[in-house]
Order: sequence, then C-alpha cells, then structure tokens
Amino acid sequence: MSVKPQDEFDRKAWLQEQDLTHLETIYLKILIYFDTRFRLVDYLEMMESLYYKANLQMPKSHTEQYNLDNKFWYWYPLYSLGLLTLLAYIVAAVSGALLGLYYAPSAEGDPSTAYSQMIFIMDELDFGLMLRSIHRWAAQFMVAAVFLHMLRVYFTGAYKEPRELNWVIGVILLILTIAFGYTGYLLPWNQLSMWAGQIGLEMALASPLIGEWLAQLMFGGFEVGQPALMRMYIVHVFLFPFIVTGLIIVHIGIVWMQGIAEPH
Amino acid sequence: MTDDTDQTRTDGSGPNIVPPDDETPTWHERKERSEGLSRVTYEYFERGRLEDQRLRQDSDYIERDVLGFPTWPHETIRNLSIASFFVGIIIALSATLPPHFGDEADPSVTPEIIVPDWYLYPAFGLLQLDPINPELALLGGEKLMSDELYGIAATTVVIGVLFIYPFVNKGSARRPIEEPFWAAVGMGGLMFGFTISVLSIDQIVADRMPGLTAPLIFDLTLLLPLVTAFITYAVLKAMQEGYMYELNRRYYRLRPPR
Repeated sequence: MSVKPQDEFDRKAWLQEQDLTHLETIYLKILIYFDTRFRLVDYLEMMESLYYKANLQMPKSHTEQYNLDNKFWYWYPLYSLGLLTLLAYIVAAVSGALLGLYYAPSAEGDPSTAYSQMIFIMDELDFGLMLRSIHRWAAQFMVAAVFLHMLRVYFTGAYKEPRELNWVIGVILLILTIAFGYTGYLLPWNQLSMWAGQIGLEMALASPLIGEWLAQLMFGGFEVGQPALMRMYIVHVFLFPFIVTGLIIVHIGIVWMQGIAEPH
Repeated sequence: MTDDTDQTRTDGSGPNIVPPDDETPTWHERKERSEGLSRVTYEYFERGRLEDQRLRQDSDYIERDVLGFPTWPHETIRNLSIASFFVGIIIALSATLPPHFGDEADPSVTPEIIVPDWYLYPAFGLLQLDPINPELALLGGEKLMSDELYGIAATTVVIGVLFIYPFVNKGSARRPIEEPFWAAVGMGGLMFGFTISVLSIDQIVADRMPGLTAPLIFDLTLLLPLVTAFITYAVLKAMQEGYMYELNRRYYRLRPPR
C-alpha cells in the first residue's frame, strides 16, 4: 500500500486543455516539473512583491497635489521654517546654558568683569570661541527664520480663520525674539552693547506717561550701567526663556490641534 | 439572627437598600445634568455632536484610507534631513565666521557709528523718520511729538498693524493672486522693512555707495515700497484672469470663494 502522489491542481489536465504548440508544451512541462519540486510560484510572488515594494510611489507632496510646483511660496522648505526656528532656539538654549557657566554680568572693574569674562571665554576656554560663535549664529538664524516664517504664513494666507489667534501669538513671539536678541546684544558689554543700550534707554524715556517708570524698570536708572546690565542678564537668562518656551509650546500646540493650513 | 435584619447583606437586600425603580435616574439621565451651566454645556456639545453626525451621514464625500502624508518614514525622514542640514549650517558658519568682538564699553567715548544687530535695523530706522515728523503752524513750527516719541509711535503702528491684520483681511482666499491688493500690501511692507533697514544705516551705505546720498536714501525709503506695491498689484491683476480659470476649474469647485 503506497500513497499515490496527487496533483491537487491537476496540472496535466490543464495542460491538455490548452491549445499549445509543441515548444510551449515542452517549456510548460519543464516548468511544471520544477514548480512541483521547488514551488517556484512562491518565489515568483516574493519577487513580485519585492518589485512593488522597491518601486513604491512616494505619496504626492501637498504642492504636487494642489498643482503648486513652481509656485515659490508653496516650496516645501518654506513650510519647515517654523521647525527651523525651534531648532535654532534649542541650539541657542543649549549653547547659552554652557556659556552661562563662564559669564558674569558685572560692569565693575577695569576692564569690566563681563568684558574680561568674554575675553576669557573667547581666548582661553577650550571651545569657548566656538561656543559663543554657535550661540550667536543660532540666534541670528532664529531671528531670520522667524521673519521668513512670518512671510511664508502671510503670502500663503495661513493666518486666516481659524488661525488668527495663532498669528497674534506669532507676532508676540517675533517681538520677544527680537527683544531676546537685544538683551543678548548688551551682555558682552563692549562699545556697541553699551551704546545700543543707550538708544534703548532713550526710547524708553521718550515713551509718553510711563517713560521714566519704564526706564527704571528696564534699565534700573537713567544711565546705562551695572543695573542695566544686571537686568538685561536676568531678562535674557531667566525671564524670556520661560515666556518664550511657554509661548512656543502653545504656538506649536495650536498648530498641532488645527493642522497645517492647507495650501491651495 | 438579629444581624441579618439590621445589616446590608451580600445578596443586595437589607434595610438601607432601595431597589431601582422608575423613579431612579439612569446613568444617561444623570449625565444630562438637569440644571444650570452644566446643562447648557451638555446641550451645546450634544447639539454639536449630533450636527457632526448628521453632516457625516448626509455627506457624499468619500473618506480616504489615508488622509495625510505618512509621518513615518516620509515626513520624519524629510524633517530629520532638513533639521540636520540646518544645524550643520549653523555649526559650519560658527566654525568659519566667529563673531566680531569690539572694544570695551566706555561711556566717555561715543563711537562713530552706532548700529544694533541687523534685526533691529527696522526698529532703529523707524527712529530716524524725524524729517516727516509734522511741524504744526499752530505751535509756532514746533513739533507735537519729540522725534523719539515719533519713532515709538511709528513702531507701535507697525506692530499694531501686524496684530490686527488677520482680523482685517478676512475671507477664505489663500493665494496672493486671489487678492492682488493684500499681496501688494505685503510686498510693499516687505520692501519698507528693507528700505527702513537701509535708512537706519544710511551713513554707512552712503559712504560705501557714492551714488546714494542720505537724503536720496530717505526719499527712496518712502518711495520704493509704494512703487513695489503698485507693480505687484499691476502684475497680479494682469495675471489674474488667466490664472483664475485654472483655479475655478480645479479648486473653487471644492471651496467656493466667500
């Protein structure tokens, strides 16, 4: 008693039904011979799925979907300017925290402690010049990215309903970013810092009604000196980081909730 | 045996147990909040929910399986590559172009040129608009506002415009071509941001470029934005008709203009 091998698919009968030339019959018989032994069909399926996986189409990006290629404002990198702002902010925060280990906000002494600490960071500290350089460039990039981000939002109409409030938060963030840069500009306590501070002081004093109060609040007096440097330092390393980080979280959270404004 | 009559028993009977009947509010009824603000809130959200449901049932919009661009790997890899490229540029620039560091602060010496960082140029330039600070004949040719106050007022106006902008320009138009006027305002504003920056450093610019004098720069500061806005408006208006045909065909069918 032996078990007769059976062809479930009845390939022989199928072959008889076909109207084939001699050559085709021989070819198919050989193919059937190997297929019954090696299950070639499985490997064929594998090859086929590999082929389709390798040649998967990338989904069309939004610019392609809306037929917006060659329209400048819908160029994808412009849509990543917000992310770039955040990245530059993070880079500036990390390098700024490291710089803070060596900087001292004091205008006392000759040369002043702040200035000589800057010289120390740049000349003697390992990687100090690089660290300051990174901090400064990240700040420049952040301001530039914020500004370009605003332009992109303007020219693609992304501020419109229901996103007006996020635009307002964005304008506040723009002002805070510039103020962040201004307070940082004063910290090295070189000539430009001090005289930029002088301009700021004059502007504060020129404000109607609250001028003197504002000058005292921001600069700690009516001339740019130690109190002003100290206040700028506290605003730069303590006050603004909290406010700006919080607002960035809210800003991005709202984008998350509302989704990216569809380009049209 | 006396315990059995006084205490609650495990089968649910007992002196303090009231069996549920028609009077007992169900969970759903309790959730409805029968009074006060909570009731209003409930009704508001319930209405919204029902409205959504109705809209979804009535809609003939065919929901796609994938509504957006896949986050992984497409969006993530794209963002990661952009991010590393960007941080790389920051580090490369930092290594090649370290920042300038000036002399020590000295209150007794005024430097020849006082410039803030570049992003403060626009604000700095607004402080130099004093030639158009109106002099009132009523006050005997005196200025109503000091030049600094005038600069602050100009800054306030610019920031105020930015704040109220989305509440002024309403509607669902998105492309600049749909609203040539607002696109012109944008381009004019952009050009003004540039020219006012140049105005803030007009001394340096005038020194470097012999053709430009300070008064000319001042005039250009006010003229160029207007010219830019006008050209933008003219170009977009001329392009609009041909362009709107395509827009109407492809897109307004889905999103009718308001």
